[in-house]
Amino acid sequence: MSIIEARGLSKSFMQAVKEPGLAGAVKHLFIPKHIEKIAVQPLNLSVEAGETVAYVGPNGAGKSTTIKMLTGILMPSAGSISVNGINPYKKRMENAAQIGAVFGQRTQLWWDIPIVESFSLLKDIYQIPEPVYKANLDQFTELLGMNEFIHLSARKLSLGQRMRADLAAALLHNPPILYLDEPTIGLDVSVKQKIREFIKKINQEQQTTVMLTTHDLGDIEDLCKRLIIIDHGSIIYDGSLSEVKSRFARNRVIFFQVGVPMPELYNLLSQTPGMKLDRQNEQEFSVSFDRYEYTASEVVSRVMKHGEVIDFRMEDANIEQVIKAVYDGNLDLNQKGE
Amino acid sequence: MTLSRMFYLYKRLYIQQLKAILEYNKDFYILMCSAALTQVLGFVFLWVIYDRIPDINGWQFWEVTFMYAMIFLTEGMGSLFFEGTWRLGRLVNQGELDRYLLRPVPVVLQVFCTGIGINGLGNLLIGGVIIWQSLVHSHIQWSFAKVVILILLLLTAVIIRVSINLAGNSAAFWIRNAGNAFPLMVHNLADLAKYPVTLFPQAVRVFISTVLPYAFISFYPATYIFGKSGWSGWWMLAPVVAAGSAAAAYGIFRYGLSKYESTGN
Repeated sequence: MSIIEARGLSKSFMQAVKEPGLAGAVKHLFIPKHIEKIAVQPLNLSVEAGETVAYVGPNGAGKSTTIKMLTGILMPSAGSISVNGINPYKKRMENAAQIGAVFGQRTQLWWDIPIVESFSLLKDIYQIPEPVYKANLDQFTELLGMNEFIHLSARKLSLGQRMRADLAAALLHNPPILYLDEPTIGLDVSVKQKIREFIKKINQEQQTTVMLTTHDLGDIEDLCKRLIIIDHGSIIYDGSLSEVKSRFARNRVIFFQVGVPMPELYNLLSQTPGMKLDRQNEQEFSVSFDRYEYTASEVVSRVMKHGEVIDFRMEDANIEQVIKAVYDGNLDLNQKGE
Repeated sequence: MTLSRMFYLYKRLYIQQLKAILEYNKDFYILMCSAALTQVLGFVFLWVIYDRIPDINGWQFWEVTFMYAMIFLTEGMGSLFFEGTWRLGRLVNQGELDRYLLRPVPVVLQVFCTGIGINGLGNLLIGGVIIWQSLVHSHIQWSFAKVVILILLLLTAVIIRVSINLAGNSAAFWIRNAGNAFPLMVHNLADLAKYPVTLFPQAVRVFISTVLPYAFISFYPATYIFGKSGWSGWWMLAPVVAAGSAAAAYGIFRYGLSKYESTGN
C-alpha cells in the first residue's frame, strides 16, 4: 500500500455572505447567510514511500487545504486518508509523531527562545533518543549552515535563516514523511539552493517521502520526478515531470541570426499557420512553432532556403510555459495532447 | 499519553514560556501590582460596607471576604498557570493552532502553556493573605479532616475555574473575531459568587450552581468552613461538579476543534 493514500477526499467551508457596507454587516447580524465554498473537490491521491512529489497549482487552488488535511490539521468534509496506515485526523498525535512539516508562511519554532532551545524542546516532545538527536543536530547545523544563528531566538532571524531552522526542526525526529508548503517562498537564490540540496540529501539518504507545494518551478525541476497539478479544487494532472514536458510543451522556439534582412521570408513565415514570427531587429528573429505540426529541421530548412544563417539556437522545453498555460486556463491537460 | 508525561511536557513548555517572559516583559512588576491593587480596593469596599452593617443575610465580614478571596485566588491560579486559554481567540483567528496540531502533544496542554499571566501572582498573593486572615478571624474548630477538605475544596475550585475559562474561550471556534467578548462575559459572571448566593433570586442561585458553577468555588466551600447550617452537605458535590465541569469543558473544546478552519494558506 502507498504511504500516503487519500480516497474521495474533499473539504468545504461555510462562508459568510455579507453585503458591503455597514448596512450589510448589520443585516448579516440578524439574518446570517452562508454559502458552502468547496476548497477541495473529491480527489484521489497516492504517494509511494520515498517519492518526491510536487503539488502545484495557482493561488487558492486547494493545495494548502489538501496538505492541512493530510497533516491532520483540518478535518476532511468527506473521504478517507491513510498516512502510513494512520488516519491523520482521528489519530492526530500518532500521525504527528511520524511526519515533519514546514509551512513557509508560518514558523513552527517558539518565537522568543533561542533556536537551539526550541530544538531541545522538540527532542522532548518527539522523544528523540539522545544519540539520534545529537547526530541529526550536528549534521543539520553543518548542512544548513546554522552555526551563525542557532543561539538567536526565532524573532531575530532573517527569513532565510528561519526557514532553514524550520526545516531542521521538522526533521530532527527522522520522520518518514515530510510535507513542505512553499518552503522557498521569498528566499534568495543561494538559500534556495541550500534548502533544495538538503531536501534532496535527506530524501536520498533516509528514503523520506516528500510532498511539496511551491510556486517556484526551480524547486520542482530540482527535486521532483512527479508532478500533481491542482486547480479549482481538483487534480488536473498527475504524472511524471518529463512526461508533462514532452506531452504538453508543444511550442518550440528557434532563434535566428541572418547575414542580410529577408523581407520576403518574414512575410512568408508570418502567413504560415502554426508558426509565429517575432522580429528583434533587421537581422535577428525567432520563430515559434507547434512541434506536432512541424519539425525543427523543417523550420530551419525553410529559413536557410532564403539565405545565409549566421547563427541559430533552440530554446529548451520549459515546464514554466506549461504550468503558466494551465494557470491561465489556456491548456486543458486532460484533453489536449492525448 | 501518560499523566506523568503530560505533567513533564507541561513543565517543560511552561518554563520555556517563563524564560521568554522574564526576558521581554519589562512591565512584570506593574502588572503584578495593578492586580494586587484591584483586589485590595475590592477588599476595602467590603470593609466599608461592613463598617455600617454587621452582617448580610447572616454572613459576617470575614466570611464574605473568604468567598471574595476564593474568587480571585482561583483567578490568579488561572492566570498564572492556564493563561493560554485566554489566547485561544487569537490562536484560532490567526490560524496559529496549526502549529499545535502538528505536534504529538495534546492541543489543550499546548493551549494552557501559550502564555503566563504574571499578574496572577498578585491575585494569588493577596487572595492567599485574605483567606488566611478570614480563617484566623473566624472561630473555626480545626481538625485534620477539616484541613484536608479545605485543600480539596481549593483544588476543585481551581479546576472549576479553569474549566469555565476553557469552555468560555472555546467560543472562539464559533465566533472567529479576534476580539471576542463572550469569554469575558462568562468570566465576569464570577463576580456573582463573591457574595452569599442567598442574596440572589432562585434563578441566579441555580445558574451559578449548575450552568456556571462559580458558587462551588466560593459559597459552598464557605458553608462548610464556617459551618453554616441549612447548607450542610452541599459542599460534598464539589468534586463531582469539578469533574463534570472539566469533562464538559474538554468536550466543548474538542467539538470546537473539529470546527477549526485554519486560515487561508
